[in-house]
Amino acid sequence: MVLLGGPLGISLAPYIMKNSGMHKFVKPLANAFINAAGYRKVGLRYDDLISEERDDVQRAISRLPEREGYDRVFRMRRAFQYDTMRRILPKEQWTKPEEDIRYLTPYIQEAAKEDSERADWDNIDVKSLIFGLIFTPSRIYPMP
Amino acid sequence: MLSAVRTPCRRATTKSLRSFATAVDAAGLKIAAVDNGQPCASVTFLVKAGSRHEAKAGLAHALKNYAFKNTADRSALRIARETELYGGVLSSSLGREHLALTAEFLKGDEEFFVDVLSKIITSTRYTPHEFHESVLPSVQAESTEAAHSPSLTALDAAHALAFRKGLGSSLFASPAGPELTSEDVKSFASHVFTKSGVSVFGTGIEPSLLSKLVEKSLGGLAQGSSVGNTGASKYFGGESRMLIDAHGQQTLFIGYGTPGPVTPELSVLAAHLSAGPAIPWVSNDERVSTFHGLPKGASVQTVLLPYSDATLFGFLVSGPTSESVTAAGKTVVGALKEATGSIKADAYKRAVAKAKFNAATAVDTRAGMLEAVSLGLLRGESPNVQSVFKSIDAVSAQGASQALSKLAKSKPVYVAVGDVHSLPYADEVGL
Repeated sequence: MVLLGGPLGISLAPYIMKNSGMHKFVKPLANAFINAAGYRKVGLRYDDLISEERDDVQRAISRLPEREGYDRVFRMRRAFQYDTMRRILPKEQWTKPEEDIRYLTPYIQEAAKEDSERADWDNIDVKSLIFGLIFTPSRIYPMP
Repeated sequence: MLSAVRTPCRRATTKSLRSFATAVDAAGLKIAAVDNGQPCASVTFLVKAGSRHEAKAGLAHALKNYAFKNTADRSALRIARETELYGGVLSSSLGREHLALTAEFLKGDEEFFVDVLSKIITSTRYTPHEFHESVLPSVQAESTEAAHSPSLTALDAAHALAFRKGLGSSLFASPAGPELTSEDVKSFASHVFTKSGVSVFGTGIEPSLLSKLVEKSLGGLAQGSSVGNTGASKYFGGESRMLIDAHGQQTLFIGYGTPGPVTPELSVLAAHLSAGPAIPWVSNDERVSTFHGLPKGASVQTVLLPYSDATLFGFLVSGPTSESVTAAGKTVVGALKEATGSIKADAYKRAVAKAKFNAATAVDTRAGMLEAVSLGLLRGESPNVQSVFKSIDAVSAQGASQALSKLAKSKPVYVAVGDVHSLPYADEVGL
């Protein structure tokens, strides 16, 4: 479910995963998609495919724990090397489904949240401080 | 004539002098507040998290710069923008004893600002990315600035020589010091942000209102035991020389320390041994001063630093060249020795008046009041100017001289900062 906007785009996955029947139905399709995409066969994780050429993603990468950052670079270099050689990794080195975690997405989401919060505060519309609420175009911040 | 002029002044001061802060316990925290009708209000959370309490060098400095960063329910940006909307200033400052988190604001906004300060204490997130992106850079900038200031360097070195551990630890995290992580700061914070470590001081706010707000927001704070590094201070003394900017300002620190809180004798002595009245644009030989014949361009600043269990008393001598600083250093040591013998009656009268004025003018400002409270409040006293005056009056000229000669028997603290090649050694200025 990543057709629009890539790994950070619109996704129906959260809704599908809520419904167990639906989840059972879609899961084989998703596995087939992952298999066809082939990134696990060169040892990558799904989050390694996210385009880096964005400010928030750059910031997220710089915030990764040191170990995660090194591992990410290692996976990429190995994948580039095998791709250049037109080979795939031996099967025991493929990324296992349980290893394929979204290690970067939470950091990107936090960075994006900071940006949108800043944009909100930069376009704030103070209607009333008396009632303890600031109205912004997109959100309401309750004030204590 | 003189007495006729003085009497109304004295009456006026007596009237406005009163116990300026009363400490009460609310929710297990010590709270003091004073409302003298100031147009602005301020609340300070005084935390026993100064550099003497840190387990690892630089932790207190890092914690100071972590203030007002992301908390569980407000982001750092939101704290800043909301403060701007209300009109206020948030600041954090670090001393050797305390970390002070302060909010200054307009009356009426007490609820919001007490809430912000309490959330800083209870729910700052100490995220690693903020540590690397904003805390460490500001820590480094402040450390670099301090390392280039001869007087700050001299004072830091003087503390290290005088008290070694505890009070001797530097206020600034050194780039050469141990590596700090956000986890270190977080665990330090959890040790110091406790009911026994935090006290609250407000100005321009009703004590009852402050107690109510603090009780509401900090009621759930952990009780906590006393903070780790609280061994009583001991005085050592010694000599140190540091090369900083050989062409710039040359600085000496000459002084003595003593275990135990500041005595009225010392405050009279500090007033006596000072570079005369504060009149601007007066050359050294025109002012009334205990330091006769200070060379041109040289200046002497008297330093009296009171701590809860120790005092550092000394002089920061600075001048443009090593020769002028050497001459000024000799003058200072000469004046010290002269005062050890006896103090003339008129000079002593002047010193007592000045000491009283210093004590009174200190509590005129919010910062001075905070300092007085930080020393008194945590020992359960309610300091007031009247009692300070009484204790100063009780000092005699002979008592002051005796106190000084007792002090001068210990090993002095001597620091030379600047061009170490030509700056004098301690014995060369007569110590």
